[in-house]
Amino acid sequence: MYLLLVLIQILVCNFINTGPYLLLSLLPVFVLCLPLNVPAVVLMFIAAVSGLAVDWLSEGIIGLNFLALVPVAFIRNRMVVLLFGKDHAERTENFSIRKNGFTRVSAAILICQSVFLLIYIVADGAGTRPFVFNLVRFAVSLVCGYLISLPVFNMLTSGGK
Amino acid sequence: MRGSGNIFRIVFNAVVFLLLETAALVMLSHNGRMQGIWISRGVHAVQAFLWGGAEDIRDYFSLRKQNRELAEENFRLRNTIREYGYLTGVNLQTDSVPEVIGGFRYILADAVKISNNKQHNYLIIDKGSEDGVEERSGIIAPNGVIGIVDAVGKHFSYARSFKNSGMVVSARIGRDGPVGEIMWDGMTPDGAVLREIPHHIPVHQGDTVYTSGYSSIFPPDIPMGITGEASVVNGSTYNIDVRLFADFGSVRYVTVVNNIDNREISVLETGEVGDEE
Repeated sequence: MYLLLVLIQILVCNFINTGPYLLLSLLPVFVLCLPLNVPAVVLMFIAAVSGLAVDWLSEGIIGLNFLALVPVAFIRNRMVVLLFGKDHAERTENFSIRKNGFTRVSAAILICQSVFLLIYIVADGAGTRPFVFNLVRFAVSLVCGYLISLPVFNMLTSGGK
Repeated sequence: MRGSGNIFRIVFNAVVFLLLETAALVMLSHNGRMQGIWISRGVHAVQAFLWGGAEDIRDYFSLRKQNRELAEENFRLRNTIREYGYLTGVNLQTDSVPEVIGGFRYILADAVKISNNKQHNYLIIDKGSEDGVEERSGIIAPNGVIGIVDAVGKHFSYARSFKNSGMVVSARIGRDGPVGEIMWDGMTPDGAVLREIPHHIPVHQGDTVYTSGYSSIFPPDIPMGITGEASVVNGSTYNIDVRLFADFGSVRYVTVVNNIDNREISVLETGEVGDEE
């Protein structure tokens, strides 16, 4: 299932031209939706491999998705504890919008997307793009990424019920 | 027990995270030209920060030694001034320092970087053209010649170290002994060779070698080192081993010396060369 999702992301990168201001990535929500019993180290390796696969098979710079996605995996488990509570994380229950509430799930998606986009946009610009451009790119990508991530999250988590 | 397990897990996660991010940065710097420049700039900034921090720590822990050396030097200078005042009857004020002494302008500087392990060593000082440093200014320390300024920036200057295989300074044995030229031996950190000393003049081990003053760069009578063994070269001159006083490994504060007549002397020298040609 996860491989299929990464393949979707590769197709999005290769065949949907979103322009310079929009960066559409579903990778953060894929990492967020991985089972809660997966340890952080394994999560980081999965993120690294997924990021590398997308880098390799799409027209991006190799290492960019890898660089941006690993921090999302690094904070995932800790963020789940903070947003959904320690009990929930220890019971390793999978989360869903219905179970955990729209606000908390939205916050989790926004945090994951923000971390990913922030690192990706800064590294992609490499200090050559104006701050305003990066800011607009971040804001547009965050809003669009969030709107697309919500149904994807719902689909992924409702499947595991 | 559980707490220590948690800490171990957190540290392990952090280490894996850092390793993966480093790998990603290496990949990025190899695959994106702009990213490569950006990352190497970042790495240099971090290196500079760490290097500066290490320098600060080294300076802090060498303060006691430097203070002691400064106090000793101060004591010697005060005694010299007192003796001079006693002999001449002149009451000298030590709270004001004249800018120009004996045709040389003296500027205090910090050696911010110095290389010691090469055949062509250099140093960088924190004074530049705005402070009055010029090309071919001399750099001295209380215990010897340190180098000659080669390039001057606004706030920093680059100098060739005396520990440079191509650098020669005019030197004299004792205050009024024979004059020759001294250069680094290229092998030891504190070894030099004094050359061109005439064969007929007796030379003793343990004599002090001073700058001769027969140069437009260094003032006379700066102690440089102590003579060692001498060997006759071509049957006519001595080559004398000299142990330098200056410890190039701990040089921190130096003095830049500017000959205020340097330009006039250079013009005359150029004119003479022109005449010869």
